[in-house]
Amino acid sequence: MRIKTLKRLLPRVGVDPARVEMFNLSSAMGPRWAEICNEFTERIRQLGPSPIRAALGRGGKGGTAS
Amino acid sequence: MIVGKQKPIEETWAMVKDFSRVLVFGCNTCVAVCHEGGNKEAQILASLMRMKATQEGLSLEIRDSGIERQCEHEFFESAEKDIEWADAVLSLACGVGVQFMVKRYPEILVYPGLDTCFLGDVEKNGLFTESCQACGKCVLAETAGICPVSRCAKRVLNGPCGGSNKGACEINKDLPCAWQLIVDRLEALGRLADYERLAPIKDWSTERAGGPRKLIHEEFMK
Repeated sequence: MRIKTLKRLLPRVGVDPARVEMFNLSSAMGPRWAEICNEFTERIRQLGPSPIRAALGRGGKGGTAS
Repeated sequence: MIVGKQKPIEETWAMVKDFSRVLVFGCNTCVAVCHEGGNKEAQILASLMRMKATQEGLSLEIRDSGIERQCEHEFFESAEKDIEWADAVLSLACGVGVQFMVKRYPEILVYPGLDTCFLGDVEKNGLFTESCQACGKCVLAETAGICPVSRCAKRVLNGPCGGSNKGACEINKDLPCAWQLIVDRLEALGRLADYERLAPIKDWSTERAGGPRKLIHEEFMK
């Protein structure tokens, strides 16, 4: 439910919701965990750098948290 | 409780983006129940705004904080420093909380992050429905505990009207006719005879049309 909400909100600030997923796995599911890591890494590679990173690369310094 | 809905981020962003220090401020009672204005929602909105600020190359600082209720003085102590730090506060309280903050902090700009919608209940998880209009003169004793003022589109007090169709209201087939609900409930309770009693003309002076209202308890006033 929280991830669903986040996926609804992220596009409003220019972030592709495909950059977030949640998986429920038990500690006995190592192989599946590795598989998900590979799949997700591949997805992020295809999507390229996030717009936040791109903005930071341009020297963007906004939105500091404290 | 009071139900509200977050304004679109484009709208709230336009309110605060030109300030240097912005506090997104949650109200953790009514509007937290509807997942729109609680302290958790303040954290999320502040985080989204930081993403926006980064992308737009703005250097404003955005913090989040919150208290249990923005409509009572006694809850503000823990957040006093956060509020004083800010140039602008984006309050996620209902309109009551926003205005209370404006009165309490006349020097600080307070903006509304929510659209306050109605007084309602949690019909089920994720579904909030209007059930009271705070008319100031409750008629529930005469209407089997179902409010025609808030749940009948026409606020009819001796209903149903001619627009009641197979238990639904003429304005929306998914909206139950409040008067059908009242009659059904009276019947189920074996009190259908109560339906025959005509309601007198309602005194609407206690409603909002009579101007802003007050409740005074002199014994509690210092």
